[in-house]
Amino acid sequence: MGEERRLSMVAELIRDHIHLEGIDQYLKSTGIKESDFVPIKPADFSGEIFAVDGSNAALCGWTTARVNLIRAGYAVYKGREWQRTAITFDDLFLADPLLCQSNFDPYLEHYFGLTGIDLQESDLDRLSSYYREMQEYLAINDALDHARPGDIILYDGSFEVFEPLRAVLSVIFHRASEREVALLAVSKSSSLSWGQEITLPFVQHTALAGSQLYPGQAWCLSLKDKNLAAGQGGWGGQSYVVCFCGQTSLAFRVDAPAYLSQDMVAILGNLAEHSCSAECMGYPHALFRAHRDIRITEQEAAGARERLLARLMETGMTLGQIRMLMLDYHDILEMKSRF
Amino acid sequence: MDGEETRDPPSERAGLLERRVMEKGETTYRIVSKNVSEYHFIVPYDLSEEERAEVGQIFSVRDGSLTYLARVLDIEHSSNYDGHWDTTIKGTNFFDSDQIFNRVVAEPLGCVNEAGGFRKSRTLPTKFSPVKRAEKEQFRFLSQVMGDIEVGYLRNGSRLVEEIPVALHSQAMDHHMGVFATTGMGKSNFMKVFAASCMRLYVRGDSNFGLLIVDPHGEYLKGKGQIKGLTHLQKYRSGLACYSTDRQNASDPGVEELAISEEEIFPEDIALLYEWSPPQRDALDAISRIFDSRSWLEDIKTAEGMARMMQEGFKDSTVSVLVRRIKNELERNQYIKKRSSLANILANLKKGKVVLVDIPRMADRSELFLLSVISRYILDEYKKDPNEGESRKNCLITIEEAQRVLGAGSNTSRFESIAREGRKFGVGLCAITQQPKLIDKQLLSQFNTLVVMGLGDRNDRRQLEESAKQDLSSLDIEIQTLEKGEAVVSTLGIPFPVPARIHRYEDYLSRLEREAPERTARKGGFKPFLE
Repeated sequence: MGEERRLSMVAELIRDHIHLEGIDQYLKSTGIKESDFVPIKPADFSGEIFAVDGSNAALCGWTTARVNLIRAGYAVYKGREWQRTAITFDDLFLADPLLCQSNFDPYLEHYFGLTGIDLQESDLDRLSSYYREMQEYLAINDALDHARPGDIILYDGSFEVFEPLRAVLSVIFHRASEREVALLAVSKSSSLSWGQEITLPFVQHTALAGSQLYPGQAWCLSLKDKNLAAGQGGWGGQSYVVCFCGQTSLAFRVDAPAYLSQDMVAILGNLAEHSCSAECMGYPHALFRAHRDIRITEQEAAGARERLLARLMETGMTLGQIRMLMLDYHDILEMKSRF
Repeated sequence: MDGEETRDPPSERAGLLERRVMEKGETTYRIVSKNVSEYHFIVPYDLSEEERAEVGQIFSVRDGSLTYLARVLDIEHSSNYDGHWDTTIKGTNFFDSDQIFNRVVAEPLGCVNEAGGFRKSRTLPTKFSPVKRAEKEQFRFLSQVMGDIEVGYLRNGSRLVEEIPVALHSQAMDHHMGVFATTGMGKSNFMKVFAASCMRLYVRGDSNFGLLIVDPHGEYLKGKGQIKGLTHLQKYRSGLACYSTDRQNASDPGVEELAISEEEIFPEDIALLYEWSPPQRDALDAISRIFDSRSWLEDIKTAEGMARMMQEGFKDSTVSVLVRRIKNELERNQYIKKRSSLANILANLKKGKVVLVDIPRMADRSELFLLSVISRYILDEYKKDPNEGESRKNCLITIEEAQRVLGAGSNTSRFESIAREGRKFGVGLCAITQQPKLIDKQLLSQFNTLVVMGLGDRNDRRQLEESAKQDLSSLDIEIQTLEKGEAVVSTLGIPFPVPARIHRYEDYLSRLEREAPERTARKGGFKPFLE
């Protein structure tokens, strides 16, 4: 019975965190006015939409290093027609803190003219994530090579990135601005929050508020000068919450470099026309396709793992040695084997 | 790819990035799975009428120096999405038409090497090997394995491959042939085309067997209305010998009035005509013991003859029934005379001609009776000297509604014995039926050539599948969906069941009439003679 009471208490707590009872408190607390919500009119767009994404899968690891399969690339649409998907990186990455600089530096120097970026990181998962992000930026860079003025490049994620890679973003923003290409980051999840006593989900509650204020319409909301807990900022742009399709009440955080601030409604109108597919209604369709084309499936990762194991054994190691060296004791507790 | 894409961007020049680009059109028409006995590939879901994949269609899969051939067994809606996402249209519509497609399930037929040799395949094409509709080049090897009796053109789905005639092998005819189709699907048309090709072979000196057709419907001789008969094929008319029970037909030049001598009728032929009680059956069996085989029909009708029967212990009433029925048959079948056409028929068959016995309006049982007499005569004569030499051609006896005489439990052992042992003596059966399910399964398994022309009844199809020499089980849907004139031909010498469209007889007739005399067919290597 005690357990049941405890569960009821937690359920109440969760309700308090996620339920929005009317939007008055939300508006008052965040400093958002109804007029801050701007309706978006879907518009015909004849340019190309590039959607950049990345994926990584852990293949094996031991206490001091890890091997990940990493893939990055982008899908290209013209109107509603998929044109092509370019994979710009599809390779194994050995995450070793001591090899860190040699892994990153050639790319950073060559493509972004950046030297001396300190990427020392002892967390192996985070190191892999940085590498994947860098490859995603390289994919953006490649997309910029192929984009024409007026085209849109979407990035799956946020521009609120960790400090050392902000210099990379800065170079990319500069190139995008020069080429007159709109570059936006669309986040499927966001840690933006509001509230004084408890931490409330900002994007979800904004979505509820927007769907009440503009039912059946797409809309956007600039977060400039609003009272919410955002990241550290300083990445050189502005964040928005955007509902791309009036047929859903879904909304996403969208980051845009500063050079786009005057054109955002028009750009989002172009995207709204292409965010109403049956496959993923409410989400820019090109990002949906990029996710599906670029993701590393479990089967792929398993296949790569098997091939890697075979090569390891060709070097003279026995299966027993490999298992012992790569043993994660959690696997024993879970009664499963990676190899 | 646009012009922008083709230039060499700076990112690639560095050599650090290895771009790989997937473009439109690369995902369909490629083998995606599955194993050695079943191939799967995908095609766009919204193909035009002409480009749609069809059950029965043959596709070619190019993989290195080999070209695999695979026949479509089924087509399914499919997509790259898990679950049932693609069943619900939300928003404005699906954007990624390349992710929603039709999955084609195909049965491997074999593979062709660069030299044009065909063999069954023990492996499967490399994943993502390109697939396309097989064209005449991929079917060229079939021309080498086709026989000499042309019956139609190769059909790929609904499309004809006119360059590849479908032709049966003369040499396979004593291994028996079955023609199976429901009413109106083109059995008679097929038989006329088959007979016309046989007539042509005879005239050209290439005939390997004589063909006997007993026609109870009176449609093969002169046809009806717009439907032409075999006599319309003037060019090869000398390959046809006609006999008719119809006086008017028999008055035509080149048609002889059919006559069967009483001496040629055996008690077991009479047995076919009626249902007999056990004592009556005993009496029939005793006739050949009691009377002289050459005069029993005359003798038994006399008072002395009846008395001899009764002396053997048969009751008066039994003998009376027997005699009355015999008299009835002799009166009803006016072709029973003192003279006989059988020797002549046999001679024509031995020469390799088509022999048409025209018996219009004849009752079902009388037809069986006549067929029984003729068949027995032929088999007995062929048995007498199986090694008569090269001069004697083999013989194929056609039986319409064959389920009457080849059905499980039927009392017509004569036809069964031809099916079982005729081949030893060069006599084959051509069984035509719309109900193969009624034919004895063991007998059916003796048939090495099957011409299947559309069977709606599942039991009919199953019977064929279980008895056929080649595997027809995978063709169930195709056989079910065959249209009039379309057929699946399974025969010796052709490595897989071949989809065909049988020639329309009237079209074939005019083609044969226009045929240049010098372009002759040869044994074992049929040469098409297209305009």
